[in-house]
Amino acid sequence: MKKPLRKVMAAALALTLIMSLLAGCGSKDEGTSGDVVTIKFGIHVANPEEQENVTYQIVQAFNEKFEGQYAVEFEASDTETHSKNMKLEAEDGTLPDIFWIDASEAPDYAANGYLLDLSGYLEENADIDTALNGMENAFNNGEMQYGVPYQCNVQGFFYNKEIFDSANVAYPTDDTTYEEFVQMVKDLKAAGTTPISIGSKNSGFAMWEFNEFLARYGWEDMYKDMADGNAKYNNDELVKCFEKIDGLREAGAFSDTVATSEYFDAKQAFIDGNAAMFGTGQWDCAAFDEALGDKVGFWWGPKFADTDANQDIAMKVPSAPLVVSAAVAEDEAKMAALTEFLNFYYGEEAAGISFAGSIFPATNYSDVAATDTQYAMNSMIEVLGSGWGSPAAAPDQTLNAAVQEALYDSIFGVIQGNYSPSQALDKMDAAQAN
Amino acid sequence: MYWLSKTRYKVGLLLPSILLYSVFIIIPIGMAVRYSFTKYSGLGRPEFTGFSNYIRMFSDELFWSSFKNTMIMFVLAFVLLLVLSFLIAVLLNKKLKGSDLSKALIFSPAIIAPIIVGIIWVYILDPNVGIINGILDAVGASDLKQEWIGGATLTPYSLAIVYFWQQLGYLVTIFIAGLKMLPEEVMEAAIIDGANERQKIIRIIIPMMKSNISTVAILIITGVFKIFEIVQQTTGGGPNHLSETLVTYSYTMTFDSGDYGYGMSLATVTFIISLIIVGLYSLFFGDNDAKKEARRKRKEEKMLKKGGVQA
Repeated sequence: MKKPLRKVMAAALALTLIMSLLAGCGSKDEGTSGDVVTIKFGIHVANPEEQENVTYQIVQAFNEKFEGQYAVEFEASDTETHSKNMKLEAEDGTLPDIFWIDASEAPDYAANGYLLDLSGYLEENADIDTALNGMENAFNNGEMQYGVPYQCNVQGFFYNKEIFDSANVAYPTDDTTYEEFVQMVKDLKAAGTTPISIGSKNSGFAMWEFNEFLARYGWEDMYKDMADGNAKYNNDELVKCFEKIDGLREAGAFSDTVATSEYFDAKQAFIDGNAAMFGTGQWDCAAFDEALGDKVGFWWGPKFADTDANQDIAMKVPSAPLVVSAAVAEDEAKMAALTEFLNFYYGEEAAGISFAGSIFPATNYSDVAATDTQYAMNSMIEVLGSGWGSPAAAPDQTLNAAVQEALYDSIFGVIQGNYSPSQALDKMDAAQAN
Repeated sequence: MYWLSKTRYKVGLLLPSILLYSVFIIIPIGMAVRYSFTKYSGLGRPEFTGFSNYIRMFSDELFWSSFKNTMIMFVLAFVLLLVLSFLIAVLLNKKLKGSDLSKALIFSPAIIAPIIVGIIWVYILDPNVGIINGILDAVGASDLKQEWIGGATLTPYSLAIVYFWQQLGYLVTIFIAGLKMLPEEVMEAAIIDGANERQKIIRIIIPMMKSNISTVAILIITGVFKIFEIVQQTTGGGPNHLSETLVTYSYTMTFDSGDYGYGMSLATVTFIISLIIVGLYSLFFGDNDAKKEARRKRKEEKMLKKGGVQA
């Protein structure tokens, strides 16, 4: 082969390689294939079909209904990766059209102009606004409606009636006091069972049952001052609240494996009948129905006598928000598709799918209800029947990421005896100061 | 005929590597250092805050506990790995029965993904469901049971052992490769001169393998400062961050607390500490003879060229 030809071929080969490399770095799919408009839905679980089955079912129903017109595709990864990805995608302008984001992070996205103001959408769709019944207020910063609740969370203690029966301990009620709860813990422990299953490894967020504790010590009245730096987290009311968690530790409430167990391990221990109680929310109802059936009960948590704060609180709160990328507004077809998807997601059909999957939707429709065999969900509906009010948001969802992380660390520090109540709250003040 | 030693060819050959190295290593390090001087949540514009993140580090108990854990792991892993990997390599280099099988067994942990290594060791070290405490229970030695992981004291020591187990085979292989390169006539001469095993190792093998030992030492130093998956999988840095290393703490602050500025300052400090340790090692124990030899050769070449030109 002659030298010039060899050079030309080498150059062509190099060019091909460079082009293929660049192709790999190319931009994402524009979101339309043929006449079908594709909506990218960023979700915080790696396998939506398995881990967020209700959302998966809703999306499937939407895709079926609008086949040939619109299609929703998941961009799925585990919560931590999802959170990182969203930040990176926000910076390089490739955010999904609609995505789940932790409530502690959403205000930052809104402040930096990455999110679409949904107040116009809610005004134009009054039926959805009515069905949300104010739950969307948690994601309004006074300037814009930056998100709408993904679901409605109901949080507290699930308990295994069989274990209570065999330990000869009465089930907790709406009026059970903290002192009675401590005695209950001691009795369960004496009967040879782990009273409360809980895991801290990579699972600081799994403290849902203590949101009720915080709320019953007046969190809703004080968190704004604390978040603005006008009041300390280490205050009399919260010290008393953390002392109650410490008191439970002293009574032997928690499993020995807190430090080395993850949330999933702790849940499994409860499902396997190795623990009497487990703090979580409605997302675990289906698993409890399958494993425990009618043996499962639900309880908000104990009432406290050493505070003037309201004790009649039901922790029925908006979950993290679904937010819409601001870029969607620049594409008319995409905007129309997304409006249709929001109408469907917050509509009655999707609410029915939610209830069937034991998930409380963010919306209220009178014709939608659980069936008799949804034991865990019915036990929640039973306690919700008391008609108690709920905070606008769960206490841990009212904090920025750094203080939220410090709250999780503080609670588990007290549970494991590593921090005193006061030290734990100092950690939160330190995070706030930074 | 092409002479690849011409400067333009040298530059041409090095350019792709330099470009890739710059894009994937130098620029990210520069960006991390820049962010370390800011308050940044990962969104929007970083706010320049000067040295505040570095000042904050001094009063941050968790930084010091992460630093302590990292240093415990470093000292333990460095001593164990450097000494034992060398001795095992010397042993396996002899044509003993079963040495091939032993090599395979020792090397096998090195091919397991670190995240799987973590899972395996959880089942060994976990205070409640782990094999060690299970065996102690079974033999009636329950008093000796410990919180191997998940407690505030023993976790860094346990993690150093896990890292040792994982890295041993890889480092042994490097040493074996070095031993194979030793000239046989030198070893034969030593035997004829009546040197025993200890004398051969101390007076011949170690001096001749100084370059290999330096390589292994630097691999251990840089490796220890990158331990991440093992900690994440075994303890998640807990309880209450007490088993964090500098790298995992940097990760936690960056991605869990959304404090990118502080997280990057921790990463920068970790990078500087590892650089200092590598620098100190190279200064005091590095293969300086080889460097001197290279310098001497370069000087000779220069003088020869000069002489040639003058002639």
